[in-house]
Amino acid sequence: MTGTWRLAGVGIVLAVMLGALGLRLWTIQVTETDEYNAEAERNLIRVVPTPAPRGDVFDRNGELLAGTRASLAVVVDMGLLEDDFEEDLAGRLSAFLDQPASEILDRFERANSGAQIILAEDLTERQALVLFEHREDFPGVAVIPQPIRDYPGGELAAQVLGYIGKPSEADLERPGVKGTDVVGKAGIERFYDDQLRGTEGVIKYQVDAGRSVLQRLGEQESTPGDNLILTIDSGIQAQLQESLEAGLSLARDLEMAQRGEALAKENGSIASRLFLAREALQLEAERAALEAEAAAADPDEADTVTDEDSVAVDSVVEIDEGEVLGSLYPGLPIDDEGVCVPVQRVEVGVANRTLLSGIDERTMRLEAVVTDRSRRIAVVDIDGERFEVEEGDSFATTLRAIAITDDGIVASHSDAWCPVRAVGVVEDPNDGSIIAMASYPSFDPSAFVSGLTQREWESLGTINAFTNFAVQGQYAPASTFKAVSYVLALEEEIYPLDRPVGDRVLGDGGSEAAPPGDEDAEVPPGDEEGEVPSDDEGADEVEAPATPAPSDEELQPLTSDTDLYNCTGSLRFQFSDGSSQVYRDWKRNGHGPLDLHGALQASCDLYFWEISLRIWNERSDETGINNEDLWQEWARSFGFGTETGIDLPFEKPGLIPDRQWFREEQRKDTGRVRATGPWVGGDLMNAIVGQGAVLVTPLQLGNGFSAMLNGGTLWKPRVLSETVDQDGNVVSENPKTVMETIDIDPATTRALRRDFQQVVNGPIGTARDAFVGFGPGVATVGGKTGTAEIIKAEEDVQEVDTAWFIGVAPVLSPDYVVTVVVERGGSGGRVAAPVARQVLQYILNGEGAVTPIQAGADMD
Amino acid sequence: MPTTTDRSQVSLLRRDRKLRPDWLLLGAYVALSAFGLLMIYTASAPRLEALDVSPTREVEQQAAFVLIGFMAFGVVSLIKVATIRPWVSAIYLGSVVTLILVLSPLGSSVKGAQRWMQLGPIRFQPSEIAKLAVILALAALLSAAARPMRWDRVMRAVALVAVPAVLIFRQPDLGTMLAFGFIAGIMVFVAGATWRQMAALTVAGVIGTVALFQVGQIKEYQITRLTAFLDPVTDVLGAQYNQFQSQVAIGTGGLFGKGLFNGTQTNLRFVPEQSSDFIFTAVGEQLGFVGSLLVLVLFGIVIWRVLVSAANATDRFGQLIATGVAALLAFHVFVNVGMTIRLMPVTGLPLPFMSSGGTVFVMMSVALGLAHSIWMRRSALPGERSAQV
Repeated sequence: MTGTWRLAGVGIVLAVMLGALGLRLWTIQVTETDEYNAEAERNLIRVVPTPAPRGDVFDRNGELLAGTRASLAVVVDMGLLEDDFEEDLAGRLSAFLDQPASEILDRFERANSGAQIILAEDLTERQALVLFEHREDFPGVAVIPQPIRDYPGGELAAQVLGYIGKPSEADLERPGVKGTDVVGKAGIERFYDDQLRGTEGVIKYQVDAGRSVLQRLGEQESTPGDNLILTIDSGIQAQLQESLEAGLSLARDLEMAQRGEALAKENGSIASRLFLAREALQLEAERAALEAEAAAADPDEADTVTDEDSVAVDSVVEIDEGEVLGSLYPGLPIDDEGVCVPVQRVEVGVANRTLLSGIDERTMRLEAVVTDRSRRIAVVDIDGERFEVEEGDSFATTLRAIAITDDGIVASHSDAWCPVRAVGVVEDPNDGSIIAMASYPSFDPSAFVSGLTQREWESLGTINAFTNFAVQGQYAPASTFKAVSYVLALEEEIYPLDRPVGDRVLGDGGSEAAPPGDEDAEVPPGDEEGEVPSDDEGADEVEAPATPAPSDEELQPLTSDTDLYNCTGSLRFQFSDGSSQVYRDWKRNGHGPLDLHGALQASCDLYFWEISLRIWNERSDETGINNEDLWQEWARSFGFGTETGIDLPFEKPGLIPDRQWFREEQRKDTGRVRATGPWVGGDLMNAIVGQGAVLVTPLQLGNGFSAMLNGGTLWKPRVLSETVDQDGNVVSENPKTVMETIDIDPATTRALRRDFQQVVNGPIGTARDAFVGFGPGVATVGGKTGTAEIIKAEEDVQEVDTAWFIGVAPVLSPDYVVTVVVERGGSGGRVAAPVARQVLQYILNGEGAVTPIQAGADMD
Repeated sequence: MPTTTDRSQVSLLRRDRKLRPDWLLLGAYVALSAFGLLMIYTASAPRLEALDVSPTREVEQQAAFVLIGFMAFGVVSLIKVATIRPWVSAIYLGSVVTLILVLSPLGSSVKGAQRWMQLGPIRFQPSEIAKLAVILALAALLSAAARPMRWDRVMRAVALVAVPAVLIFRQPDLGTMLAFGFIAGIMVFVAGATWRQMAALTVAGVIGTVALFQVGQIKEYQITRLTAFLDPVTDVLGAQYNQFQSQVAIGTGGLFGKGLFNGTQTNLRFVPEQSSDFIFTAVGEQLGFVGSLLVLVLFGIVIWRVLVSAANATDRFGQLIATGVAALLAFHVFVNVGMTIRLMPVTGLPLPFMSSGGTVFVMMSVALGLAHSIWMRRSALPGERSAQV
């Protein structure tokens, strides 16, 4: 039939198809078999990188600051895990590791079929043993060794050491950094990350397609990172941290006492009651101590003390502990121990409705949370008045809503007056080595290894505990900066005008600074003419009506640093527009007659203002013939206004302001300077006493002082001493680098050292009080106090002081420069000097010689 | 005609006498099945052993299917295909309904594709059943065709195939859909389509496939995105990787292979699905070119014998069924083996009689049984073939 040929045709087609298969098989299996064999070989080998142990970090005495300890982790090999067993295993692991089974299952499903996932780290020995003994119940689960970063000192040198974490986008661009690595995120861990990380090794395994290891073929061991030896001395570091903490508590106590006293006079508010209760407890304790003492000594005196105190005790209203959590109103935010805290987190819930009471017993209630077009609005009742609060809003004066949830408001509560932080640096002025460096509040870097909770992270974050304020904090250096002017005065022989009587009126000499035709817009109208020729070489002799007539015969400069200038306590500064401002010394009625040395010891503002005015009046021009930036040049030569170049990340440059900077800020409208008007003499007056726009980091200040005290060598500060390999051989030394050699007369250095010694030991020294009872060697201690007044513009002229003290020992041939700053701490003599005192006691006389912290005199 | 009675008496006698099996076909069929079991064992035992499960678990399961398949083959062999003919419409419609049901939530999804149907304890793949149903329906339709075939019948044949093909494509199962096209083409050709009709069908088939592919691309992409989440094996890259590994494994087999249980590539699980879709890889690696060729030859024998059955069929219905069965087997072998050596893309078509899997084995056995039944009732005289239409 007709179909037969068609069937034959079909037969041929099908035969051709089978034939094609045969031909292809011949090619693959016979002709090209060698190539496939080679390919198969490659298939079977898997190269697994082994992480290199991170290098250790030691202090200068070989004490371990950061190391690596062995730990165990639970790893699940997805290649060994059967699909239908996943759920069972997740259940078992859930019970064992205390993680939700759904979460584990979720991770299984997200993982690639060949992947290994780390389920838990840092197992306890007990957990590891259980897993090991019940291996058969946990197929595909392995316990592997895993190195864990360890900081045996806890918070010791935390901000210097920094911490480690997962690499950021930027980290990943560095050579040799993979997403699975850990890298240094801050401090030494970050700065020397490349040295610490080492080179990872590889292990070759024979594996199957599931990536299951069948056999170990060979290993190229990893090279551990190098060890670092720091210039830090753990002992001094520990003492510095302890003293900073003590100093901050002291500052907070003083602040509480000061403000509490004022508040206590008000109505019987909760805050005042709390304050009085605290006072009573303290008095009680003191009385008990005195009574005990009196029992052994004079009984009459003890009675008097008791009588006096009982008055205070009677006025106290009993309050239950925990009744008050804090206040919502300006004045007195306090924690449950009755101490102020700079920032705290407040949760305002719908459920409990009444939250916190204010000092004036107003109350706040959260009425409801409503959602309006995806925005959440919290309706708050404060004293019967209703407010709507959105995220980011400030409310109840001191609160700021961080988040609004269905349940309530999470707000940050900041107290602008509470002492916030204490920072310290100890430097060796002979080579720039940093012996200790800390800021308090601090953190424990180990916390990053085990993982911080969101809450911990936030609470440490709001107080900036991770930041190394010694290099990142910028503060007005205040009176400590008088040392710069002091050196300038001696070197340039510029001393105040010798007319120290009465309320002096001085002219705003150089306010008209712009040369004609140049940027006229900046020049206030009417200022073009009639100005004081600011420089003494202003030959035109223009009549200057606004100028105070310096016609007095006695208006001659003091000719030597030992000539006396009479400090009266105030000085009037005449602006070119006719207005004037009275500048007052921190000591209202003046220091009386003093020379340059006395001015530094007593920290007389007027003396240094006079120096600035001489610079201003005699040099201010832009011709370039006379250098109006004399002071700025001296300040910059000691390293201020630029980074010191220390081997730590994120260093800030500080700021030394001058006319050019001032203009630039005005042009950019940054809001940091007056919107209109030129750079005036008053700006220089502010700058010369370390106020105004001047900013330094604590490290910069200590390093600049080191240069002044060592005879003019500005070192590049360093934290790393040397890098050593695992066998202890030195790989490289961190060289001691001289940044600048400043030409200072040795006599200047000698005088400075002597005057520093007098600040601590002399009759008019501002730190004298703080060093009473120092113990042996106080005569070899010197220093300089400083109190920066930060005027908070948005409040009603409320000042928040930054307290400084720079201590030096031994003062005549310095080996230690101790810089201490207490942010919002009050005066330098009262708060900062006692901190430095403890550190110096430790350095000079050992641990046992450190006396409890106590406030010094409230002096600049 | 004086000889008519004679002839019919003779044929009746002979028919009784000739109700004998095709030993060659049987031999190849049993050999392939046994060979398949051996390969499944070598491919699955090491893995099962590693899991601490009985190493024969998988092969035992398959052996049960093989036995069921053998029985099905025997039973179908004894049934005269003509007796099925009245049932063809019902079988076809039933099959289409099942295909619709499998797309509904009643069907279950494995590895991203919805191909399974659960009926009580029995789980089967409707698309496999559909292949058989389409062969039967086409045979019934085309056996009544005039010669030369009229266009309307061609169109009806196309429509008959298109309905299940589209449904299967939606599962998605591209391999099975293409198998439909191939089988239908061969059957229409044997049924007497003109060259012009064949050319038109080919063009339409290519255009249709490409068009569906275009539509399918989008659909498949979406499905992949969805299913890759549930099972990464479905991703394209993974499939290509597997195919490459399979090719490597076969290539390393060389002329004589590495010997049973020495298939490092398959045993090390570089090759996935090595007991189902990629069973041929195990053959190629362990038994080399010689073993591979042996398998191809066995398939050649089976297909040849089925085509011979077609040639000897006593009616066009039977002839077309046998033709369809031959095309079905050949296409499966070509696409499956081609896939393991990267001659064809990865599709889910199993290797008949060798890949593990119940539905497919039983279905292929039934198909072969139909062909065998036709052979056993072949005409005694060449002139009688297809005469009784």
